[in-house]
Amino acid sequence: MVSRIIARPVNRRTILKSAAAAGALQIASPFVISARAADNIKIGLDNPLTGTYAAPGKNEEIGCQLAVDQINAKGGILGRKIELLSEDSTSGDAGAAVQKARKLIERDKIDFLVGNVNSALAQAIAQVSNEKGVLHIVPGGHTDPITGKDCKWNVFRVCNTTRMEANAVSQLLYTKYGKKWHFITPDYAFGHTLYQGCEANLKKLGGTITGNELTPLGITDFSSYLIKARAANPDVLVVLVQGNDMVNCLKQISQFGIDKQIHVAGTQQELEAVEAMPPEARVGVWMFEWYWKQAGANPGLDKFVSEIRKRTGKVPTARTWFGYVTIHAYALACEKAKTIEAKTVAKALGDMELPDDVKCQPNKVYFRGGDHQLMLSAFIGELMSKGDGDPENLFKVNSVVSGDSIAPSVAETGCQMQMPA
Amino acid sequence: MSQLILFNITNGLIVGAFYALMAIGLSLILNLSGVINFAHGGFLVIGGYLSYTLTPYLGFWGALIVAPFLTAIIGWLVERLLIRRVYGRDPLYSLLLTFGLAFIIEDGTRQIWGAQGLPVSVPAALSKPLRYEFFFITGYRLFMVAMVAVLIVLLFVLLRYTRSGIRVRAGTLDLETVSALGINVRALRSLNFSVGIFLAGFAGVLAAGQLGLDPNMGDGLLMPSFIAIIVGGVGSLTGTLLGGLLIGVAAGVTAVFFPSASDAIMYVMMAIVLLVRPRGLLGEEGMLS
Repeated sequence: MVSRIIARPVNRRTILKSAAAAGALQIASPFVISARAADNIKIGLDNPLTGTYAAPGKNEEIGCQLAVDQINAKGGILGRKIELLSEDSTSGDAGAAVQKARKLIERDKIDFLVGNVNSALAQAIAQVSNEKGVLHIVPGGHTDPITGKDCKWNVFRVCNTTRMEANAVSQLLYTKYGKKWHFITPDYAFGHTLYQGCEANLKKLGGTITGNELTPLGITDFSSYLIKARAANPDVLVVLVQGNDMVNCLKQISQFGIDKQIHVAGTQQELEAVEAMPPEARVGVWMFEWYWKQAGANPGLDKFVSEIRKRTGKVPTARTWFGYVTIHAYALACEKAKTIEAKTVAKALGDMELPDDVKCQPNKVYFRGGDHQLMLSAFIGELMSKGDGDPENLFKVNSVVSGDSIAPSVAETGCQMQMPA
Repeated sequence: MSQLILFNITNGLIVGAFYALMAIGLSLILNLSGVINFAHGGFLVIGGYLSYTLTPYLGFWGALIVAPFLTAIIGWLVERLLIRRVYGRDPLYSLLLTFGLAFIIEDGTRQIWGAQGLPVSVPAALSKPLRYEFFFITGYRLFMVAMVAVLIVLLFVLLRYTRSGIRVRAGTLDLETVSALGINVRALRSLNFSVGIFLAGFAGVLAAGQLGLDPNMGDGLLMPSFIAIIVGGVGSLTGTLLGGLLIGVAAGVTAVFFPSASDAIMYVMMAIVLLVRPRGLLGEEGMLS
């Protein structure tokens, strides 16, 4: 009896092994499998459903699903129904994301791949889709090389490049807030290229950088970086971290009262993060890649917002729109090409302009044939602590600039597109 | 520069105090039950989310007290229904069980409260820096450290001066003898587990005020707690406390010189301790090896 109650002793090695397993806990994730039919067009979504990017990943999935349902209600693509197979890529484990991409392509025989929120994961699975010759749209990974020096005939992107994001706000921050900038940058592909973009712009404008704090992804405590940033006494504290890291960072900035001494701003900001912040942390000038509340009449936009509200009780975010536009763009390209064969569809997608009910925004929105980058508008403005007119209207849009006005030219991106014969 | 380092040492102590609170609960359970509780971060998340749900009814202070108790009750149930079954088996069983539990709690939280983070505001009186020069010492952070200190002192008093506490300590050293003396070891372990989970729940409520809530907030806090135990020494609660404070300070000071290495420094410290003094700083030799 006693021996059954008494545990075997735990030794140091077991604890060490467990610590290793605890690390694995952060990156491992469950499988998601959906039902499927043989003659359907299959779309594989390889995106985070767990971890720090679970919220944007989920919203992209919701956007994809809405588009799939809308297209199926109208008879599908070329008369065939489409179905969405969703896999959890995790938020930061490239190995898991690649394994899921291979599973979708080899076992599920998908016709079209979508993913990923995380730039590094998007780059990793683009290698797989390219090797397998599967058409692939990156819905929300921003790092430049995806449609820059690593561009591929089969890979398209609907969100901004980091360079476009840096270009959208640099001039404004410089003239409005000052010329000494201090950065808080996430230490991976996205952060690195975003920082490089801002750095290049600031140098061109004649400003100086007082420091760049590279922070590990998923870190919870920013206090030591903030102590350093404040000691450097910059004019602007530029926050480049994303997701929960953004929430934690801005929250600590407001608790420390740093926003009262230094201007706080950044490039990309997202509604998911803003809604997770307490009112006092919602400060600064930012860009949204898409925003649900726009000036002027736009029936396509109104319909999209009300459909998503009906499904989720919340307004769509830029992530929801990325998912939505990804699926619709694919469907339109297939209809235009009259086939789902990847190479032909890729050609149809290059230089394709999106119609009003898909783009849901002003300005011309189109894929650039030279680098497969979508030219989408940037919404520049300021965060509001309390919702204006609607509890979810937390961003005051000051200007909407067209994508081609902030994008570097194809030659500048370093992309040399090789279309297969 | 010296001011910067001084600031970061103080700041590291604040952060480390929080790691210590997590680690002590973890250590308590490990010492008596031999279970490495992977779901500890999950219980932290439960505590945080419960306080979020309770705040509209009880206010911040009410939720601060009630949520950890509710978490402890959930912990007690989990021990009675699940954890208890793996006592006496190879540690791998409890590892797998709590590992799975951590996933279930994380995904359950995501189902109930949503994948998107939730904002938590702390009372206005606490949300400001105390002094302009020491901007990183906010009322709330000071309050956190005070709460951690109170809880740890309380725990040490309980362990030293109450009958159950003495039994827990005795059980840590030699459970077989304690059992042979007619003490109900099962009940003792249930109580001990619940106390450990109470500390996790409390840490969750404190963390929510500092960081806001998201379903995987426990992950990032679990690793430093493990490292605190290993650095401080398995089997010693004082060592765990010291370990927590040490890695907090080390991470803070590293951030001054190599910001991107502030996470890695904890692992480096762990490696050094394991090489130079494998039982940890205050771990008793042969105690649990």
